[in-house]
Amino acid sequence: MNNILLLEDLPEIRSWLKVLIKQVFPDSQIHEAARVHDALELVSAVKFQLALCDLGLPDGSGVDVVAALGKSQPECQSVVVTIHDDDDHLFPALQAGAFGYLLKEQARELIAEQLKRMSQGEPPLSPSIARRVIKHFASQTQQQERPQNMPHVALTDRENEVLLRVAKGFTLPEIGVQLNLSRHTIADYVKQIYRKLNVSSRAEAALEAQRLGLFRR
Amino acid sequence: MFKRLALTAAAALMWLAVAWPGSVAAADAGAVRVISKALSESAAGGTAPSFADGALPVTLPDDWAVTRPRFEGSVWYRVEFDRPPGTDANELLALYIGRACSNVEVHLNGQRIFSGGRMSEPVTRNCHYPQLVTLPGALLRDQGNLLDLQVQGHSLQRVASRQRAGGLSEIKVGPHALLAAEHANRLFWNVTAVELVSIVLAALGCVMIGLGLMNRRETYLGYFGWLSLTWGLLSARLWWRDMPWDNGVAEFLFCSAFAPLVALAVQFLLSYADLRSRWIENALAAQWILMPATLLLLGPSRLFLATSVWYPLFALELAAATGLHLVVTWRRKRHDFWPMAVLLLAVMGIVLYEQALQQGVIDAPDVPLLQLAVPLLFSGIAARLLQVFARTLRAAEDGRDTLEARVKQVTAEIEQNFAQLAELRVEQVTEKERKRIAGDLHDDLGAKLLTIVHTSESERISTLAREALEEMRLSVRGLTGKPMRLADALADWRAETVLRLGQANIEADWRSPADETDQLLPARGFVQTTRILREAVSNIIKHSGASHCKVRCTISDRHFGLTVQDNGKGIPMELDGKLDRGHGMSSMKHRAKQMQGQCLVESGPGYGTVIRLTLPL
Repeated sequence: MNNILLLEDLPEIRSWLKVLIKQVFPDSQIHEAARVHDALELVSAVKFQLALCDLGLPDGSGVDVVAALGKSQPECQSVVVTIHDDDDHLFPALQAGAFGYLLKEQARELIAEQLKRMSQGEPPLSPSIARRVIKHFASQTQQQERPQNMPHVALTDRENEVLLRVAKGFTLPEIGVQLNLSRHTIADYVKQIYRKLNVSSRAEAALEAQRLGLFRR
Repeated sequence: MFKRLALTAAAALMWLAVAWPGSVAAADAGAVRVISKALSESAAGGTAPSFADGALPVTLPDDWAVTRPRFEGSVWYRVEFDRPPGTDANELLALYIGRACSNVEVHLNGQRIFSGGRMSEPVTRNCHYPQLVTLPGALLRDQGNLLDLQVQGHSLQRVASRQRAGGLSEIKVGPHALLAAEHANRLFWNVTAVELVSIVLAALGCVMIGLGLMNRRETYLGYFGWLSLTWGLLSARLWWRDMPWDNGVAEFLFCSAFAPLVALAVQFLLSYADLRSRWIENALAAQWILMPATLLLLGPSRLFLATSVWYPLFALELAAATGLHLVVTWRRKRHDFWPMAVLLLAVMGIVLYEQALQQGVIDAPDVPLLQLAVPLLFSGIAARLLQVFARTLRAAEDGRDTLEARVKQVTAEIEQNFAQLAELRVEQVTEKERKRIAGDLHDDLGAKLLTIVHTSESERISTLAREALEEMRLSVRGLTGKPMRLADALADWRAETVLRLGQANIEADWRSPADETDQLLPARGFVQTTRILREAVSNIIKHSGASHCKVRCTISDRHFGLTVQDNGKGIPMELDGKLDRGHGMSSMKHRAKQMQGQCLVESGPGYGTVIRLTLPL
């Protein structure tokens, strides 16, 4: 991990997050930003491997930064760091391309552990998020008119199976046991689900823009 | 409707056939002498002329227009008659004069026995009145009675109608009773019937005018009303005998009245077909003035000449208007065509007949056909108009009723929509306000608590702050949240509980009903249950020292139950025998009570703890 973006408006939180990141990734260089505007400038200048973004910022939402990263630096892992644990706040960020989320008030050790797991490709997935994802793909399938150039993103049966089980309240290790799959395989499925959610959401947004006549390229 | 009209017409025809004049008293005709030969001499003055050299033998009926053209004044007729056979001296005899125009006086054997009215201008107009003169028995001889009739009349040129030109019909002498019946019959048809239908027509006209005034859009009603009224008034020329004007003025007035009559008729026909032409209206108005002007210009001595030009012109105008009306009605209102066609063509037929009569092509009938039939046909048209009008009215009323119902319905809908909108608005405002409060809590309180969590040196304080943050988030969730599916809530609880127990190395055994339910849990219920469950799990992790935790869920139609059981060391008893308050039991019970549920805790040292939560759904 070389370059890490840290977007957080509260100085105290930013400083302990910084400490925490240094703990997990000792070799990294951390670029701090307190506002969406500054973060977007950094994104256009620096190539990041990881980005930790707060959602509620004085001049906008961290979702915009996540989206900008997803567009210009697809290989960068965006993680939402937030105080909001409800899917109303998290889901748009995940659609924009966030890879996972961290809840700020959790104990440092826990956050560090989750961050490490995420960077190793094991993103978290809560039942409520899983339900939203299921709903999203269900509405995608229902859409009748789909232009030729729009990719049709669909989940595989296994990915669906994992999602359904998460939605019912089973944890990822439990599902691994139930499906007789390794922890890494399950994590791969979750990663795929996040990726497909992002691609499908972008396609949907483009379609919506086209329908509204805003699609000019 | 057309059928009913036809039936009415048929009934009227049958009645006419039965009551037709002439069918009366044919049986006793033998006792009546019909006199059709007379001597005539024109002479003024109240005494009979000598009937010597100037006397002219004539055949009755004597039409002055034929026997003495252009003659104005008084003509004496002398007939001789014997007592009719089969009548004795005591029998009351009478003289019946079918028509003596304009007026007649009768002398029997030199004595004046009857006068029909004034013999000098303005002469009494008796042209349409049959006369019955009782012959006094004292003056009658068995043979060689001399009957002198003085007829005061006008030349055809000075009247507008052949029926009012001077002349004398056949006369009859016979038993009074027989002749009285004939007289009464003739009088009825010539005068009384006309009077009756005129009155009816005038009244009808007034009604139609009133209707027309109240319904300005139906202009044809007004035109027809005035037409009927004018016709009714104009019929006065048949029965009004003693006018204050002399013949010239009277004839001029009656003739002039035909111009507006025709104008009204034409306007009615056009407006009933929804046609309107300024040009025609102006022409009719001009005619209204032009006709009297020509009459005045030509003078009273050429009155008949003038009318024999004007009346056919009027007839042509009427025919044209009728034709136009029928063509338009055929095209636009087929259902209205046949009744109007029958009535209008009948009127036209009678008008043509009258024209032929006035031109001298055919002889005058016994009854004034024009004056009787036209009002009847007018009544037919009026009935039709009223029917159409009533139907339109009913349709309009139905339309209005429908409209009213629709308006009511729409009003109700609007009110309902408004209520819904208001409700929605309240909901939206509430929702917005909740979001604002939630946002404020997150941004201000949340950020501060968060700072405490991560900057506090004391583990206790940061834990408290973390718990406070969690509490705050749950509260916000209760504030903004919508009802949640119970199955979803169970999934969330399961995920959290299993994760937390797993992190504390406690074996979790969670079982909930496998079948999906669609029951909903209010946001507050979800939040409170989450707190209770969280508290219970925290207790197990912190205090129980358990290695195993069993969670069971039950869902029925009305209740939802949650049982959390551990195999730990249980909750220690206080001195007073109650369970330790430090374990948050009371707050759990309080929360359950808030939701009209209950939370039972069973515990004993070494037996573990069972928490049973029951909530109504």
